[in-house]
Amino acid sequence: MDRRVVITAASAITPVGNSKEKIVDSLTKGVSGIRPLRDDDLFADYLHCRVYGTIEDPVEYGFDRKFRKTMGPVSFYACKVVKELLAWSGLDPDFISSGRLGVAFGSTHGSPSVQRRIYKAFFQQDANLAGAIGAVDYLKSMVHTTAVNITKMFHITGRVICSSTACTTSSQSIGFGYEMVKYGMQDAMICGGADEYDTTTVAVFDNLLACSTSYNDRPHLTPRPFDSDRDGLVVAEGAGAVLLEEYESAKKRGARILGEIIGFSCNNNGGDLILPNLEGITGTIGLGLQSAGISPGEVDFISAHATATKMGDVIESRAIEKIYGKSPLVAGLKSYTGHTMASCGVIETIFTLYMMEKGFIAPTLHLENIDPRCAGISHVTELTEVPVKIASIQNFAFGGVNTSLLIKAFKP
Amino acid sequence: MTRQEIEVRIYDIFRDQFEIENPGPDEDLREVHGFDSIDAIELLIEIEKLLQVQLDQETKKDAMTRIRTINGICDYVEEFLPSTRVAGAGK
Repeated sequence: MDRRVVITAASAITPVGNSKEKIVDSLTKGVSGIRPLRDDDLFADYLHCRVYGTIEDPVEYGFDRKFRKTMGPVSFYACKVVKELLAWSGLDPDFISSGRLGVAFGSTHGSPSVQRRIYKAFFQQDANLAGAIGAVDYLKSMVHTTAVNITKMFHITGRVICSSTACTTSSQSIGFGYEMVKYGMQDAMICGGADEYDTTTVAVFDNLLACSTSYNDRPHLTPRPFDSDRDGLVVAEGAGAVLLEEYESAKKRGARILGEIIGFSCNNNGGDLILPNLEGITGTIGLGLQSAGISPGEVDFISAHATATKMGDVIESRAIEKIYGKSPLVAGLKSYTGHTMASCGVIETIFTLYMMEKGFIAPTLHLENIDPRCAGISHVTELTEVPVKIASIQNFAFGGVNTSLLIKAFKP
Repeated sequence: MTRQEIEVRIYDIFRDQFEIENPGPDEDLREVHGFDSIDAIELLIEIEKLLQVQLDQETKKDAMTRIRTINGICDYVEEFLPSTRVAGAGK
């Protein structure tokens, strides 16, 4: 049973805005969400990278204690975007708890700030240290904390999928949710990802020499995907969720349709867990097109993973060139937000949906001098008004995981 | 520490820790206020702080079946009083 799958609601919390209006404004005006790294009580002072994609706009939660007690900051973000998503969707509460609506949602670590508190208790060498770990700390810090706090808060009884594959977490959430609905296991899926402010992630990439360090005094000028002067990624926080529904039931209830998912692919490089891999990325792009049943020439826009690392951008450019040539326009949306890790796939999908609706493509920020090794594709370097019928969102993760999502402007 | 003083301390804990204001002394905390097993475990940690003791696992398991009402909780705390000192009592 193959069914059409449409996107009927979207919500995001990002370094460039938490509402559609603010996000579109940031994309059209070239606003960066990168700010100085905050001091923490651990090791922020020792990092070479001093910038971070930071959520500045206040977020009002209003969650009761019965929900808050099992939530770390990452689950606050996750539940907030889903709360807005469901409010906007108009889904019937009976359907939400029917077992036919599932959740595919993940984060990189659970809640690292809660984990940090647990480690502190252990290292205090107190005879009573076991008692220092609260009963709810595991619930706040386990890998599927976002997914199940969502199910609890909104009484969702369907399937739970919790991908936790670093940078492909939420693109997998969308892809696996799409397959759930397409093949009839669920009639609708809430899909997304979230990551909270976390300097340990910065430390990981800092130690791998993958973070941006040359723009610490000018945070708004980094990251610089595909630019000759790029010097690495910028870690960021964020969250996003999309609601996927089976088309006929969405139409029947009069849902507003934002776009249609027409294909998804996921593969693995089958080798190195860190280095980008041309064969693997090319493979997932090809599989995505095959899944959608379209030719490369039909794709108008590619939201590239484009983290602004030295080699990652080169390999991705070559993969795009190999499959597509210069036909689709390409932009790296992390140039606005930084790398929101587990939420990057869904946030970039939402940004793409907004741009499709409004009829523009935002340029890759700071792309002033295209690296000659990345020059074989059609970069968007200025705000471009153009209709986008089909877009691809590409994401790649540590562990060699690659994904490609294909979305299409909706036509009944 | 008198029974009344224990009640004051328990009500303080419920207000400050669990955001439950003035539950009835015999109200079923789970049924009426959504006080679940996670809360019960957290309450036992608070009681340990109050009594300045470390409860063993068996005592805690026993407590889990008894702390369903404010009166039940106060009964439970009173049982420990003769042999323990209540933190902050008699200030």
